[in-house]
Amino acid sequence: MIRFLLRRLGLAVPTLLGVSLVIFVTIRIVPGDPVASLLGPTGSPEARVELTHKLGLDQPIPVQYVTWLGRVGQGDLGRSIAKQTDALPYVWEAFRNTITLSLFAAAVAIVGGIALGVIAATRRGKVASAISSGVSLFAVSAPQYSVGLILIVYLAAGRGWFPTGGMRNTTGADAGTVADLIRHLWLPGLSAALVPLGIIARMVRSSMLDALSADFVEALRSRGLPEWKIRWHAFHNTLPSVLTIAGLQVGYLLGGVIFVEVVFSWPGLGLVVFQSISQRDLPVIQAGVLVSALAFVVINLIVDTLHGLLDPRIRR
Amino acid sequence: MTATQLVGDDTAPTPTEPTAADVIPAPGDGSPSEATPKPALKRRRLGWPARIAGGVCVTFLLAALLAPLIAPYDPLADDRSNRLQPFFSGGHLLGTDGQGRDVLSRVIWGARPSILTGLIPVFVAGIIGTLLGLVAGLGSHRLNTVIMRTLDVFYAFPAVLLAIAIAAALGSGTSNAIIALSVILIPPIARLAESEVARIRSAAFMEAARVSGAGWWSIALRHVLPNAAPAIVVYCTALVGLSIVYAAGLGFLGLGVAPPTAEWGLMVNDLRQFTFSSPGISLVPAVVILIASVAFNVFGDGLRDLLDVKGDGR
Repeated sequence: MIRFLLRRLGLAVPTLLGVSLVIFVTIRIVPGDPVASLLGPTGSPEARVELTHKLGLDQPIPVQYVTWLGRVGQGDLGRSIAKQTDALPYVWEAFRNTITLSLFAAAVAIVGGIALGVIAATRRGKVASAISSGVSLFAVSAPQYSVGLILIVYLAAGRGWFPTGGMRNTTGADAGTVADLIRHLWLPGLSAALVPLGIIARMVRSSMLDALSADFVEALRSRGLPEWKIRWHAFHNTLPSVLTIAGLQVGYLLGGVIFVEVVFSWPGLGLVVFQSISQRDLPVIQAGVLVSALAFVVINLIVDTLHGLLDPRIRR
Repeated sequence: MTATQLVGDDTAPTPTEPTAADVIPAPGDGSPSEATPKPALKRRRLGWPARIAGGVCVTFLLAALLAPLIAPYDPLADDRSNRLQPFFSGGHLLGTDGQGRDVLSRVIWGARPSILTGLIPVFVAGIIGTLLGLVAGLGSHRLNTVIMRTLDVFYAFPAVLLAIAIAAALGSGTSNAIIALSVILIPPIARLAESEVARIRSAAFMEAARVSGAGWWSIALRHVLPNAAPAIVVYCTALVGLSIVYAAGLGFLGLGVAPPTAEWGLMVNDLRQFTFSSPGISLVPAVVILIASVAFNVFGDGLRDLLDVKGDGR
């Protein structure tokens, strides 16, 4: 197990380097001359040379990459142009709210997806199966912003059952309590959960069907086990693959809830990135992408480790 | 390499023209017995949900093509005295927006940039991804490793965020949105193409082609590509819905076309300020994108089931 872990960690290193390279490329493809835009139209040629040297832009690209990587390694992701603060603390603050929203959405998606998938697999050819398959297909197709707006119109704006946005009330009796937070979490959480819910449901359905047609199920049945016990055994066999997919989905949520955050004004990474787009605050966008990619790699690592714990076959 | 040589020794060296390539490997077992009817030849058809969805997709495409003919109003003509008219009022079937523009006309005209920014990346990524898959699948082991590991890096990003980062860096605009979406669609298509090539590589007719001395390009384009193409095309079809959703998402974030052009994502963002005053109208573009996404996905899924193609579930 230790060796398996070490090997997985070793594999994560080139991935991380690749990730950093891609982000470095997105920094370099920005059109326009950064020196000219910093100096303005009145900059003298001498000032140009000096600033180019100061920014390290006269170095060869690989040297620039290594220098940049060194700074990133020390947690220096550049400064926000709009906020005039370091990008990393600013992005990290918002990312914590994104984690809250993603975990809530993931919980909804996993519970709902497993329930839907098991129903679809065990009631084949019946109305319940058709409905749950249809619901999961609809769920994977539904764009977050559409679902979010529909929920706002029907459950929040007109009815007042839920808040239309934000994360906490600033006034009122329950301002800042956990109950208040959860009330704010429901609608964005549901909007974000829909796609992963559909994906998990499809995964559970197909691996449950695989498991139910396996030989061991026939053996259990011939021994006279009650049907629910057989299904429990089959379900048990789907867990490793479900875990992998569910883990991946948590990762996607961390980077993919941007539209939900914008629609619901959830103060997370996505909202920060959205605001940075209109201000062309590129260091913040890059820091945001880097942080969520890092989180994604870490989650994959955790998922792989859990998978290895659950299913000894893949440790080799 | 060694397998090729071994088989090459077994099969008598018959330097005939590579007609063997015409033998398409039967799905499932290679030799169906004469007595049983071949299930592979059973004519399967699209189910009714996929057919209805296909009809909806065609309707959207027609609306985009025929926009100047069927849109009742000019999508850009604003009329401040007619702001936020409700549905079915004064000849405005879907009401008017905050500047008095006819929402139905904007939805119809908006189909053009919205569907194009969704379709083109699938085409571009389909071509590049297929080429990468061919090279990786038919190249040396080392080349395969380099290409596939490089593509793996893109799987370490949440795809939406990577598209946003690229589009934001390049600056907003339709062509930049198309570039960003193409980049994030290449890895899954290349993965599928590579696995298809790997499947075909071990088919018997490939040995025949190699033995008969066909060159790399000839093998890739005449023997592998025709066999891999159906699966890749179907997989790409299934990606169109997703691509349209992402394209509208970029528009929603202000990374697509510039206002006042009608584009669905931009319309969603423009109209969402009216969720309290005109809830119905504020939902129109959001629901249109939802319908388009579901239709393209159901249709793509139907095709996928028909041809039994497996993607990686993204």
